[in-house]
Amino acid sequence: MRLLLDRLYQIAGGIAAVSILGICLVVSAQVVLNILARLGGPGLSFTIPSYADFAGYMLSTASFMALAYTLRNGSHIRVNLFVQKLSDRPKWIVELVVLALGGAITGYATWYAVALMVESIEYGDMSTGIIAIPLWMPQTAMVAGLGLLTIALIDTLIEALIARAPVLIDSGSE
Amino acid sequence: MSDPMVFTILLSVLLVLLAMGMWVALSLTLMAFVALVFFANPPAGQVLATTLWGHSHSWPLAALPLFILMGEILLRSRLSEDMFSGLAPWLGRVPGRLLHVNILGCAIFAAVSGSSAATAATIGRMSVPELTKRGYPEKLILGTLAGSATLGLLIPPSIILIVYGVATEQSIARLFVAGVLPGLMLVGLFIGYLAFKAILNPSSIPALEGAYSLGEKLRASRRLIPVLLLISGVIGSIYSGVASPTDAAALGVVLSAVLAMSTGGFGMADFKDALLSATRTSCMIAFILMGAAFLSISMGFTGIPRNLAAWIGGFELSPYALLAALTVFFVILGCFLDGISVVVLTTSIILPMVEAAGIDPLWFGIYLVLVVEMSQITPPVGFNLFVIQGLTGINILRVATAAMPFFFLLLLGALLITVFPSIVTVLPNAMGN
Repeated sequence: MRLLLDRLYQIAGGIAAVSILGICLVVSAQVVLNILARLGGPGLSFTIPSYADFAGYMLSTASFMALAYTLRNGSHIRVNLFVQKLSDRPKWIVELVVLALGGAITGYATWYAVALMVESIEYGDMSTGIIAIPLWMPQTAMVAGLGLLTIALIDTLIEALIARAPVLIDSGSE
Repeated sequence: MSDPMVFTILLSVLLVLLAMGMWVALSLTLMAFVALVFFANPPAGQVLATTLWGHSHSWPLAALPLFILMGEILLRSRLSEDMFSGLAPWLGRVPGRLLHVNILGCAIFAAVSGSSAATAATIGRMSVPELTKRGYPEKLILGTLAGSATLGLLIPPSIILIVYGVATEQSIARLFVAGVLPGLMLVGLFIGYLAFKAILNPSSIPALEGAYSLGEKLRASRRLIPVLLLISGVIGSIYSGVASPTDAAALGVVLSAVLAMSTGGFGMADFKDALLSATRTSCMIAFILMGAAFLSISMGFTGIPRNLAAWIGGFELSPYALLAALTVFFVILGCFLDGISVVVLTTSIILPMVEAAGIDPLWFGIYLVLVVEMSQITPPVGFNLFVIQGLTGINILRVATAAMPFFFLLLLGALLITVFPSIVTVLPNAMGN
């Protein structure tokens, strides 16, 4: 189970990383085309259809899919100035509260994200660009990412309960 | 219930959550949730879902992961090693000599990395041992490092300016361009202060070691030149309007990867490392931005920012008095919050107040970032001070004392752009559109 979950967080993080590379690729391709248009005049003017939309959807995919991976890495920023000063037992209790509250609010967000996606499917919402794609497709990443974050928070809560000690780490970078 | 009362309750909720160690993004979301459920009418769940979706896929925000990735790539290249050897030959005759490596190195590195903690850590790791070995005074080594690393927040491409631009719907290109002159002004202030100290007390600075011919100088810094070209290319293409910040960022990633690979010591493993690190950082910031967007919208439903603006307006404070009060508030926030969190909190609650007082939101963005910079070295709790303490093992109080003059230089910088706002606005106005 432990191995499976960790693998899951990592795969989602990998998808996010690939999405960022995708943004870089699409946008630089368009920049090259822009340069070509400047050099060759109107005859050489090409635009990747809806490239800004696609960059946006890849960005939201990257942001949501990386949520759980970033959490488990201790890279989501928080103020640990005060909790650090606590001794182990109160620190543990505060951590349990934080993890439970966090799990509750992300679970709530996941629930309504699903509702939004269902709505997009029912009303057949499309993106507005030249290439219109059904909105539920990029929204899937939002649902999956938020769902995975909820799982990661509950997973960490259970870890803390079993360890009977604080488990949260902070990567220490900004 | 009266507005000030509601506001106090919400603020306490936020502070308690933050103090408990709740992640900043979730603290903002929870505060917004409480505001919607108890003090406003719209369905909280739907508002949350549409906001999360609506604020996650904008085109300007796509610049964020790209600029972060560019910084991560250059961070892992040989650039940081080359910084000292490349800058040192030029600075032998300037009063203050090699201490200027700290200032200029930080300014250059800050421009590409956009994070003050990363800048302090990277430049410091190489310059502190070198300067200590040569006998430079510890106080000035630490002070210049702590002070100059904060430049990262202002010199474009600045991550924090992207955050401000996205959160307030200001043009990121104009914000970047607006940051150029104040950034250079701060570099000038730091260099001037250091030279002044060196002239005042020449015996504290070690003697000149060896002279270099122009050819030797150029050879020593040949690896820095492409980086300088890269930075000026990014800023120049944005300024001239050839490229949007997102376009420039994508090209910046490609060019920095080529640069890092061609100078050697940067392989596929480093690239993967840089990409994953950029994925995490950009996710962390995007998540905070989503939380902040939800907070902005729910605060809008409660009407608090509007009423707060009217309430403050009732005192008929001059814009200067308002700025002074806000500055104190930001410096206090900066003692325990990082810069990005301070910025998003500000934009969701305070911006209507600032606009009502007739302050230009573009100018305010630069001002805010400058004050946030200052809060990073507020003695004795600024974020950069902790980084340098970790790096050198020198007690934070000694680091803070060393950084104190630079804290006041930043304050002077904030005063200067308040008295002469055109330092900020002249370049973006010249851009047109």
